[in-house]
Amino acid sequence: MTWTIFLQQMINGISLGSLYGLVAIGYTMVYGILRLINFAHGDLLMVAAYAAILGSVTFSLPWFVSFPLAVLATGLMGILLDRAAYKPLRNAPRISLLISAIGASFLLENLALVIIGGVPKGFGRPEVFDKVISFMGLRIQVLTIYTPVVTLVLLLGLMYIIYRTRVGIAMRAASKDFETTRLMGINLDRIIAITFLLGSTLAAAGGIMWAMKYPQVNPFMGVIPGLKAFIAAVLGGIGNVAGAVVGGFLLGLGEVVIVALVPQLAQYRDAIAFVILILLLLFRPTGIMGEPVTDKI
Amino acid sequence: MKVQATFMDRKNWKRLFSLAGVVLLFGVLYLFDRYGSLYQVRILNNMAIFIILAVSYNLVNGICGQLHLGPNAFITIGAYTSALLSMSPAEKQMSFMIEPLIWPFTVLQAPFLVSLLAGGVVATIFAFLISFPVFRVRGDYLAIVTLGFGEVIRVLCNALQGLTNGPMGLKGLLPYTNLWWSWGVAVFTVFVTTSLVNSSYGRAMKAIREDEIAAKAMGVDPFRQLLLAFLVSAFFSGVAGGLLAHLITTISPTLFTFFLTFNLLIIIVVGGLGSTTGAVIGAMLFTWGGEALRVVESPLHLGFVTIPGVPGMRMVLFSVILMVVIIFARNGIMGRREFSWDGLAGMMRLGRRG
Amino acid sequence: MEDSFFKLDRLVMQFGGLTAVSQFSMELQPGELVGLIGPNGAGKTTVFNMIAGFLIPTSGRVIWQGEDVTPLPAQAITARGIARTFQNIRLFTDMSVLENVMVSLHHRIRAHFWQAMFGLPAYRREEQRIREQAMNTLQELGLAHLSEEKAGSLAYGQQRRLEIARALATQPRLLLLDEPAAGMNPQETRELAQLVRELRSRYELTVFLIEHDMKFVMGLCERMKVLDYGVTIAEGTPREMQSHPEVIKAYLGEPKHA
Repeated sequence: MTWTIFLQQMINGISLGSLYGLVAIGYTMVYGILRLINFAHGDLLMVAAYAAILGSVTFSLPWFVSFPLAVLATGLMGILLDRAAYKPLRNAPRISLLISAIGASFLLENLALVIIGGVPKGFGRPEVFDKVISFMGLRIQVLTIYTPVVTLVLLLGLMYIIYRTRVGIAMRAASKDFETTRLMGINLDRIIAITFLLGSTLAAAGGIMWAMKYPQVNPFMGVIPGLKAFIAAVLGGIGNVAGAVVGGFLLGLGEVVIVALVPQLAQYRDAIAFVILILLLLFRPTGIMGEPVTDKI
Repeated sequence: MKVQATFMDRKNWKRLFSLAGVVLLFGVLYLFDRYGSLYQVRILNNMAIFIILAVSYNLVNGICGQLHLGPNAFITIGAYTSALLSMSPAEKQMSFMIEPLIWPFTVLQAPFLVSLLAGGVVATIFAFLISFPVFRVRGDYLAIVTLGFGEVIRVLCNALQGLTNGPMGLKGLLPYTNLWWSWGVAVFTVFVTTSLVNSSYGRAMKAIREDEIAAKAMGVDPFRQLLLAFLVSAFFSGVAGGLLAHLITTISPTLFTFFLTFNLLIIIVVGGLGSTTGAVIGAMLFTWGGEALRVVESPLHLGFVTIPGVPGMRMVLFSVILMVVIIFARNGIMGRREFSWDGLAGMMRLGRRG
Repeated sequence: MEDSFFKLDRLVMQFGGLTAVSQFSMELQPGELVGLIGPNGAGKTTVFNMIAGFLIPTSGRVIWQGEDVTPLPAQAITARGIARTFQNIRLFTDMSVLENVMVSLHHRIRAHFWQAMFGLPAYRREEQRIREQAMNTLQELGLAHLSEEKAGSLAYGQQRRLEIARALATQPRLLLLDEPAAGMNPQETRELAQLVRELRSRYELTVFLIEHDMKFVMGLCERMKVLDYGVTIAEGTPREMQSHPEVIKAYLGEPKHA
């Protein structure tokens, strides 16, 4: 394998990794506060993609209007998801929450199937993202460069919110100690809603970029990427936002590089991520940057 | 010791009733077998298979309280093993067009019963292998690991053309599954599971569900009990997979996705997480209801008005039902209660007094 | 190996930078009734958790009947004859009182799971035996009349007794009681002390208990160790502890000088 091909794959891997990272952040933030795996999170990719299509095609809005609107709509969808599926179960056993999450995920997918139909829709990629750059013997789609850049910008924005605003402090407190935060008079419902909003908007951005990369949109498009993003979050240490990004990059790079090195494994691409997960849970369940949680007996 | 004698008597009466119930069941099945339509027989077969699946799934999720999201893996393994063994070498040679089947499957062929048992045994072996990583964790992690395993098996079935014929799957299986096989296995499964759940082993499993730390302090080894439940569950899932394969006579990887797991989850949650009776009731409702709800997906003719059918609406309804049940009625129909002749007698007495 | 009946050899428990228990050593002779006291957060339950296999000590050893059992998990420790109760009651609330005790007899079952799965006579005999033994234990603790009630529906004092009952049912030689009198009124406390004495002699137990309630401990324990911030600050007979300056300081704090 030549140097140029290797470099090409590295760039692809980083690009894919940043998508996983964007989605992984949402998982990890919700898990940090609610100790819940939001199974329906991956489906928000799909919601964002369809919302963008709705804006661009049905309402003929230019992409720089329909995309942000789709992101906002998906963010609100995230809040709705919490209100409908998780809030009623705040004091219920964990297994109930997980089941509700699975139910919500299936509901979103099949609702999309019913409303939009199972035939994959094409995602109109705006021309500005269609360009291909050539340099150093590489041919790279402009989109592949934009993706990590956008991710970085969004990440910086999120970091600012988490570490420099009062809301962020409350979010961090809630993820460390839910009960005490509530006792301190902080409106947890609002914090949770904001957490879902932030996580969902990031996933939405990821969803739109995903749809531009793989322009076939169908109701189940978010399932596998969602699961992989979750694995990325676990890899980085569930509950840790920086870890989610690191995990995303590692997973994206790993997936691309392994398949590039051993092309016979291409059809096992999806399984690779799960094998990584199983090995991880066997040997280092707290992930790369996570902290161990002990039971008080 | 008068008290002892009466106690024994009642137990015997209850056993007699249960036996009578089974005889009655098979009587009804005979009638359907003889006089029922193909459609009705098909539904009954489906029902029996889902009873087997739901009851064994409930053993891990309901009794042990662990969220296992990978039963589809064991169903798949059982289905493929059973199919590969029941097909004749000639059929297999014809089916495996892209890549030839690996030895020794090319020459192996076995009678239906053996292929079913093999399906169960191979599924159990896989369950044993995966049990070490699975039961090192609990809760959400256990859910994701088992889900991941289900996905890995699906990917493998698609990719290992030389073993499973990849996406094309296996066609032309002989329809060995009839009402006697499916319901026979179902009755056996319910019997074995109920015996296990009512035994000391079942108590140990429930103790783990209630409070694993306290269970350990009382001498219960969580890994051993969870392993037992997991293996028994996998065995029956594998056998059910074999029955399913020889009912629909065509299997392919798309049949055994997480979707199947989701359906089982709905069944045991609606029936009552932790109740074998609930799992049976849930399976019956699901099979019957699934058919009944097909109505929603095909056009409805009401005189001069036709409401168009909406494909996929069934699943939307199922999802909503699952969420409504888990949010508002998380105990489902039976909660953790089981059917008992005493309970039935109690209900009837209440009715009479009422 | 060592010939000790029960010995804790310089147990240390560190959580990250925090040392919860530091150099805890003690020995027990068969039949003794010993108490461990100290203010809240002193590390007493941590010591129990290390003995009972819920925590692996950072360093130090637990020797039981001549065997080093330090790395063993909780269920293995119970199988070897050390049973414990919990400070916060951890009953199987959804199961009946009888079932709670029957669980404790599971690890000694003399039948295989397949015999249970098919309801074979060999298993049914064991089930009967377990049931009878459990009932006997309940009778000892005065809970037999509640055998079919759900454990979660019992009154607090009864729940505490059930905690002891099921620990007893594991047929231990050493019983660790973690604050058995917590939340009890003086009458109940007296009855409990009497009960512990009776159980100790009837079942030839060695008892090691944690308590806060000085009255309970005074009348009951033959000797005591006092823990504060993970460090043993005193040991001796209850009488000696009552007037020991370090013990008083630990519980009441330094007298404030003007």
